[in-house]
Amino acid sequence: MTTIVKGRIAGQPFALDADQVRQAVAGVLPEPLHEHYVVIDGRRFPPKQVIAAVTGLDRADFTTHQARRTLRRLGFLTGRRATPPPPPPPSRTDKSTWPHQGREAEALRPYMGKWVAQKGIEVLFAADTPGQIFDWLERNDQYADEMFKVPEPGSLAEGWTSKVDITRWP
Amino acid sequence: MKFGFKELPGRDEGYLRPRVPVVVEGYARAPLACLLDTGTLHNRFGRHVAEDLSIDLTGGERGRIGVGGLITESIAVPVVLRLGDAVWQAPVWFCNPWPFEFQVLGQEGFFRFFRVEIRAATYTVECTFEPA
Repeated sequence: MTTIVKGRIAGQPFALDADQVRQAVAGVLPEPLHEHYVVIDGRRFPPKQVIAAVTGLDRADFTTHQARRTLRRLGFLTGRRATPPPPPPPSRTDKSTWPHQGREAEALRPYMGKWVAQKGIEVLFAADTPGQIFDWLERNDQYADEMFKVPEPGSLAEGWTSKVDITRWP
Repeated sequence: MKFGFKELPGRDEGYLRPRVPVVVEGYARAPLACLLDTGTLHNRFGRHVAEDLSIDLTGGERGRIGVGGLITESIAVPVVLRLGDAVWQAPVWFCNPWPFEFQVLGQEGFFRFFRVEIRAATYTVECTFEPA
């Protein structure tokens, strides 16, 4: 026998049964879980996602508690994650978390497209070819921490594979 | 050995890449910044590195390989590499053309010798020398 649950969510009267809920989320990917979840056909969903999908209501109009209670009355297992998820890592664009708070990137900006010999974040010498860098270090008896070519905008290092133009290279 | 990611200027805000400075054939004046590439089998360097450091490519294994979407001619010879105090010898495939800003360290020539922890959330790379 199908259990039909009647009630009100966000002031709207509703009558739901478990099959309606299953059908509503059958082709839906579960969103990332926060604290609470409900198990439907072996998959864990945020309870508010399910109620929103089956009723069409805006999630801002009801609480997780209302959603869990409704789904429990329909016979679905609800639960609470053992530990809350860790906070997301800082945004990639938050330079305060970068190794040099963005100062290295700015120090290198004038040398985009050039080979550089670098000491710390300071550029010792910049040139068009790595050979010129080697020559300069030898002549001046200098030691760099590392040597590389500062990528140009749109380079492979930046992730723009389609922008590589091999005709510019010997 | 712990290394911060390299900060690089981009078209907008800039970006970061995991790299380590590697001394090639004992030339300590200019360690080469090498990207860590777990998806690459071998170490790939630009041919210019061999020319500038007078590395003899005679008799090296020749091949054509695909890197970053292009086909490049490569010659492989064993090279002595150093990262910090760790010294190892591994084949390096010197490639021409090499339209890339960094050299590349791969599985056989680098990850076989080191335990590596990459933490993109904190922009750090930690390498422990553990040759098999």
